[in-house]
Amino acid sequence: MEAFDVIVIGGGVNGTGTARDCAMRGLSVLLLEKSDFGVGASGNSSGMIHGGIRYMLSDRKVTERACRDSGYIQRIAPHLLFRIPFLMPFTSRGEAATLVEKATWYATEVYVGAYDLYQPLKRGKPSTRLTPEELYALEPALRPGLGGAVTLDEWGIDAYRLCALNALSAERHGATVRNWTEAAAVLREGGRAVGVRWRDVLTGETGEARAPAVFNASGAWSPALGRRTGVSVPMRPGKGTHLTLDRRFSNYGIICNAVDGRQMFLMPHENDSIIGTTDDDSYGDPDDLEPTSDEVEYLLEGVESLVPGVRRARVTRAWCGLRTTLYEYGKNEDELSREHQIYDHAAEGAAGLLSFVGGKLASYRAQSQEAADRIAALAGKAVDRCRTHEEPLPGGEALPDPAALAARYGVAAPAAARIAYRHGARAHEVLALCDEDPRLKLAVCRDEGILAAEIVHCARHEKVRRLQDLRRRCKLAVGACAGLDCARLAAQLAAHELGWSADEARAELADLLELGWRERRTILDGHQLAQEELVRAAHRGLGDL
Amino acid sequence: MSASRVVALSYLAWRALVAHPWKRLAQRGTGAERFVASYAGEGLVPTRPEDRAIGEAASACIGCGLCEAGCALSGAAASVRDLGLRAAFRLYSRGTAELPLARTALEACAACPGCDPLCPTGVPITRIVRHLLSRLPPSYNPPPGPP
Amino acid sequence: MTAAGSLQTDVLVVGGGLAGALAALAARDAGATVALARRSPGATALSSGAVSVAPDPTALPSTTFAARAGTVESARRLAALQPGHPYAAAGVALDRLWESLEFAARELPLLAPPSPRPRWLATPSGSARPCGLCQRSMVAGDLAEAKGILAVVAPRGHLWFDAGLVAGGVNRLAALGAPRAVIARLDLFMWEEAALGRPHDLARLLEAPGAAEAVGAMLRRSLPAGAAAALFPPLLGLSTAARVPERIAHAAGIPVAEFLSDLPSVPGLRLAAAIDERLAAAGVELVRGELAGRGPGEAVSAGGREVRARSWVLASGRFVGGGIARRGTLVEPLLGIPVLASDGPFSQAGAHLASRPAASLTRRDSGSAQPLLSAGLKVDADLRPLGLDGRPVHERLFAAGAVIGGHDQAADGTGLGVAVFTGYLAGRSAAAAGGRLVPAPRGVRA
Repeated sequence: MEAFDVIVIGGGVNGTGTARDCAMRGLSVLLLEKSDFGVGASGNSSGMIHGGIRYMLSDRKVTERACRDSGYIQRIAPHLLFRIPFLMPFTSRGEAATLVEKATWYATEVYVGAYDLYQPLKRGKPSTRLTPEELYALEPALRPGLGGAVTLDEWGIDAYRLCALNALSAERHGATVRNWTEAAAVLREGGRAVGVRWRDVLTGETGEARAPAVFNASGAWSPALGRRTGVSVPMRPGKGTHLTLDRRFSNYGIICNAVDGRQMFLMPHENDSIIGTTDDDSYGDPDDLEPTSDEVEYLLEGVESLVPGVRRARVTRAWCGLRTTLYEYGKNEDELSREHQIYDHAAEGAAGLLSFVGGKLASYRAQSQEAADRIAALAGKAVDRCRTHEEPLPGGEALPDPAALAARYGVAAPAAARIAYRHGARAHEVLALCDEDPRLKLAVCRDEGILAAEIVHCARHEKVRRLQDLRRRCKLAVGACAGLDCARLAAQLAAHELGWSADEARAELADLLELGWRERRTILDGHQLAQEELVRAAHRGLGDL
Repeated sequence: MSASRVVALSYLAWRALVAHPWKRLAQRGTGAERFVASYAGEGLVPTRPEDRAIGEAASACIGCGLCEAGCALSGAAASVRDLGLRAAFRLYSRGTAELPLARTALEACAACPGCDPLCPTGVPITRIVRHLLSRLPPSYNPPPGPP
Repeated sequence: MTAAGSLQTDVLVVGGGLAGALAALAARDAGATVALARRSPGATALSSGAVSVAPDPTALPSTTFAARAGTVESARRLAALQPGHPYAAAGVALDRLWESLEFAARELPLLAPPSPRPRWLATPSGSARPCGLCQRSMVAGDLAEAKGILAVVAPRGHLWFDAGLVAGGVNRLAALGAPRAVIARLDLFMWEEAALGRPHDLARLLEAPGAAEAVGAMLRRSLPAGAAAALFPPLLGLSTAARVPERIAHAAGIPVAEFLSDLPSVPGLRLAAAIDERLAAAGVELVRGELAGRGPGEAVSAGGREVRARSWVLASGRFVGGGIARRGTLVEPLLGIPVLASDGPFSQAGAHLASRPAASLTRRDSGSAQPLLSAGLKVDADLRPLGLDGRPVHERLFAAGAVIGGHDQAADGTGLGVAVFTGYLAGRSAAAAGGRLVPAPRGVRA
């Protein structure tokens, strides 16, 4: 039985961010994640570190803080962020715009122009107003009849890696970090929460840990945890589905409106494009969520209204998660706040238990700082000040040059670029494995630029315990290729690193392919369907004896 | 309406009536010029219709590898051949910012074209390689950054 | 041959995979003149290198190899359990399954003659699959017939295949009758160029003069005690003419085999090359390029030439081959024949289901047979595709291979079995329907 200052339940961006902050301040931390970092709302988010532009309507200070925090995240993880310029085209009902429509366009231009004041906080560029001619010159794929556009930019990020890097940083600062380990029960004694009984999902090992503070950041699983513990975590879960296209459709994001008027987007994200998103109340099982044909069609139709050619693009997967929206009965989903709340369950007889609900990916660092402040008070210890905005996340210390990496280690430049994106300064550690063993230069995935060395590095150093974790660490088998070349090879490499038997390797391979299937079922069409036929033929072996 | 909301909306009204028109007067250049100045340096350039058409054609690739059995990519280093020409048009018909990194593979293509007839889904590989080569910036060797 | 550039034949086969090739060869063997139109090598070059045909669907996981039904009986049982399957559609013609397997082995000498009991071959992911037909280079790896210890070769220089995974799989099947497998590590592919080679590069390296002999000598030196055969990764040469497995076996002093391949597949490439050779030698006129036309009897254009044939065999494949496509709805792009999808093993396939959303035509569990992936044409007992009215689209139009609906060959374990069986039958039927009663001498074109 171990004692900690705080036990954090949940490995999403708030759980890992808070664990990192607490560990950096000198608290002893246990972080428990029942599957892998980011599998809930965090990883299934749109993957944007934006600046809270919508809050200028209610409180500019919130926007300023959000933009400043976006700047901090750039500072601590410069390799993970990439710029996305957005076009917000102006549409009109009829051929000629009415006065009201033109006024709306002007209002949008003013609004986005006001946001320019905060862009420098996050190295953003100023907005511009484009005439229709200028708009079509920049993006010929837009449908005719638009009245120009206003532009702005935001930053995109690989949210899964953000969660994993926060967890690894927490560990570096002394935290005990366990993934594939669930908090089976929150222990309560005499009106207080005193700790947690945990269970390793893969090995069955159990144990108890005690702490004066228990921080529940389990996202969509919070209400269930609350029910098991006898406290209430009010939440209104919202399902959000996205589609991924096989390439960057454009270098610019396009904001459009869906059939019901909701704002949607088609945007470039790393080397793919993402179409998003839906928002529906969902009370289903967060462990068993799948996108539906209805959502896929809704998203494609929404984008098609501005980009008619999108139906010719190749959709490679559909994925979804549950937002942990604050509970409010009676409002339509889009009106709900994305603000957050930290519930203290002392009144329910579980003093020391805090639950985090709501929030946005982009503000995770500030949210974690607030949570860490509350936890430090509960732990009753004097702590160092918060430095999560100053110290780089692992790999964030420097930005390596892909061409130089390629030359130094003798690997193809495109692969070096992908490794530099995912690992930043640690790309050297990854590629140094090739110096020891040149066989590791072998390309595992040519769609995503993954080398065998990266698989081995992640398996050794990034808390990979199951093959599917590599989907999140280095995009294994999530591209258009659907795991055709890479899956078995990665299973073999991981098996060597992690000591799996042949049977375990096969089971992990089957599990990886099953997850991919769930994401592809709803979008099989055109070339992606031919891809699926090929993938199934190649992996037939798993279904045999 | 809360106090902070009143403040926020008043501010926006001021911007609409006063600050924004002033800003527009003082701005130099057209919207498009300023947009390009902001983003072109980072490789975030418009996608021309022919780029998009090439992208659609390359989307037919299902990764079977039959093209490679008929391709030598002679002269390229082992790691470049391993990542293959397919990576060139998969990774790089995907986006222009990182296209220069594919230069070695693209220039190693001998334009034979032994690959085209082998493709089961009809990807026009030779045409794609030619197009990507034409989109490469003129070759010069910038001093490499720190590795 | 009439005017230069235009072609008149008894039979036109559309599609150059195994189904099309066997249809062309079967028609040729029956005395017809044959042209084969194809766009690209298709899915056959992407196959494992063997033809599964049918696993015994009534066997339990614990049933030994010896206790399982033979190939033909397994196909019969499969047909009985899945009435929508092409084996069932053929009706009593399923009796000719054995005949079709023998024909394929005769026409393609790289295939070993079929044996009544299937050969159990190891896969790269650590399992074993029963194959009704396989390449000669794989026969010595039959787990059901192996005596003594099986040495699974691990080339130290290359990461692509993992002997541990393969050997672990073989050992797991010991209770079913598989031999004991041990790993034999060889210093093969030990330099950087080779370490980063793709499977076809490695296969070419083994074809180099002296390479196979050197490998065999290395194997002889490192052979585990008691090893009665050696199982190599599927890299033993790109052409059978190079005789890589034979040369290794000779130098090593024990039988040598390769296991099945996934992708990319050297045995698949070998099979495709062997098909091309045989088609040329048999006097089948090869026409390259896209086909545009309306059906048997009419002139169609293909690869810049005009072709006119009495009967057609449509062997254009499914999604990879391009014979069936889904563009919002399921279509057969060449002739517009209605495509049927079924949404369950017990429900009737119907053309109306072809426009259902993809998710509705798939099962949640990826290992199940997926209706979307078994979409295709409906055929009668003579393998003529049927129109919406339930009657053959044309009395001299036949279909073969994956373009026929009712089987998800990745899930039902038949692999290229339907291609071989239906290709052979369709070729014979097309030749007969073409009116050829007097066999023409081989190698002479009309």
